[in-house]
Amino acid sequence: MTDIGMVLGRLGTKLVTEVAPKLEGDYSGGHAAMAGLMSVMAGEAWDGAADRLFTEIGEIRSLLQQGGMAVDVPESPSLKVSDLTKERDFLALNLIALQASVETREDEAAKMLNAQIWVHLMKTAQARMPSPPVFPDAEG
Amino acid sequence: MLEEELKSRFAHYAAARIPGARNMKITQMSRIHGGASRQTYSIDLAYDDAHGPQTRGVILRRDPPDSLIDTERRVEFAAIQSAYGQYGIPVPEAMFLETSSDALGAPFFVMGRIEGGEPLNPFKMDAIEPHREAVGRQFFQHLGAIAALPVSGSALTREIDTPTPDACWKRELTYWTNEIRRNAKTPQPVAEAAIRHLERNPPPPAQRLSIVHGDYRTGNYLHDGNGKINAILDWEMAHIGDPYEDLAWATDLLWCGNDMERAAGFLPWPDAIRTWQSASGCVFDPAAFEWWSLFSHIKALGIWVTSEKAFADGANDDPILAWSGWFTHAAHELMLAMRLGQKYGVDL
Repeated sequence: MTDIGMVLGRLGTKLVTEVAPKLEGDYSGGHAAMAGLMSVMAGEAWDGAADRLFTEIGEIRSLLQQGGMAVDVPESPSLKVSDLTKERDFLALNLIALQASVETREDEAAKMLNAQIWVHLMKTAQARMPSPPVFPDAEG
Repeated sequence: MLEEELKSRFAHYAAARIPGARNMKITQMSRIHGGASRQTYSIDLAYDDAHGPQTRGVILRRDPPDSLIDTERRVEFAAIQSAYGQYGIPVPEAMFLETSSDALGAPFFVMGRIEGGEPLNPFKMDAIEPHREAVGRQFFQHLGAIAALPVSGSALTREIDTPTPDACWKRELTYWTNEIRRNAKTPQPVAEAAIRHLERNPPPPAQRLSIVHGDYRTGNYLHDGNGKINAILDWEMAHIGDPYEDLAWATDLLWCGNDMERAAGFLPWPDAIRTWQSASGCVFDPAAFEWWSLFSHIKALGIWVTSEKAFADGANDDPILAWSGWFTHAAHELMLAMRLGQKYGVDL
């Protein structure tokens, strides 16, 4: 079984549309519905996770370079999501420091760099946003 | 504690607390889903007293191992007491408060159950039709009425401190900033930029000190299916503060399926503001509201990262915490980034 996104999506749909309605009225019904919705989300996120992190890492490194900030964050030893996440998190800490410093300056170069940081933050937030959940109607 | 044991111990407790009650039985007990900040049970009591056989529906709110929000149940209990019977605000009766774990293995409180109500899912706002306008008007009426509640002498002021009007914003921002920094599993550049922005551009002092519900929104009231709100619930984040905090939270886009045309997904904005002003006695200031509206996103992120931590650390495995730490966090981070980016000249 190689298409993990598909498997998670189908499992989630099963939980939401078949299992949860049968548990209606029991506390575990709510758990089943939430687990199903998140399984669908996980299926969607799985396919793009490494690509999203790779993009974030490249953009942050570029912004830090533009800001003249020397960073001592080693490149990820693999393309595992866990390794990429670690690299992205270290870089993000540097980005926070860079933006805080840029915001204290009034010159045009600083304003432009700050705007570029915002472009990155907005695009990243868009990319991280899962598709809206489809809540099934309650069945009897 | 298993539910059967909980049932038996609660029956014993209720028999001792309800005056004159004999032969106490629990005829039904079910856990209500979604209340991750407390374990919430709906319970039917049956007993005899001097007037004969009696039945009573109650709600038990018991502390979980971990929760969405680290709050004192004393505060929630006092907030309900402060609003009960006032200005037509539909609030259940606060009955018993236990701060020790002796009776049920964890602190808890008990309130009367308001019958015949159902919650509205904020992701399915259309389910309120054809009563959108009627429910919306009550939504803003009750919100304004809460802001108008007397603060001085209220039960809530005996439990928590009362800030000065010019300290409200700073106190809330500091609290939620600390929550984010203490609990976030990953760096939060959007939240950090927003915190700096809010600190650089503070709002005016609160025009009055009010009881702030703290989590007034769709999902936290019950309606009767015929256009009437019959219970305002979930007072666990109540405090004294700026009434804009509740107005901004109540109209946050997450709680109305991103409906930008109608306030809280109910009414045209001018109607909603008029209703709120009339009930609260407050005057609407768009600039102050904008600050509190952005702050709402920060407060939300504080709750969501705390939820994620509780789930990830294994302190509480309720899936709603994982959902909060993922979907709702992403939603509020996106809202915050898009709104703040525009203020710095970026429009994607």
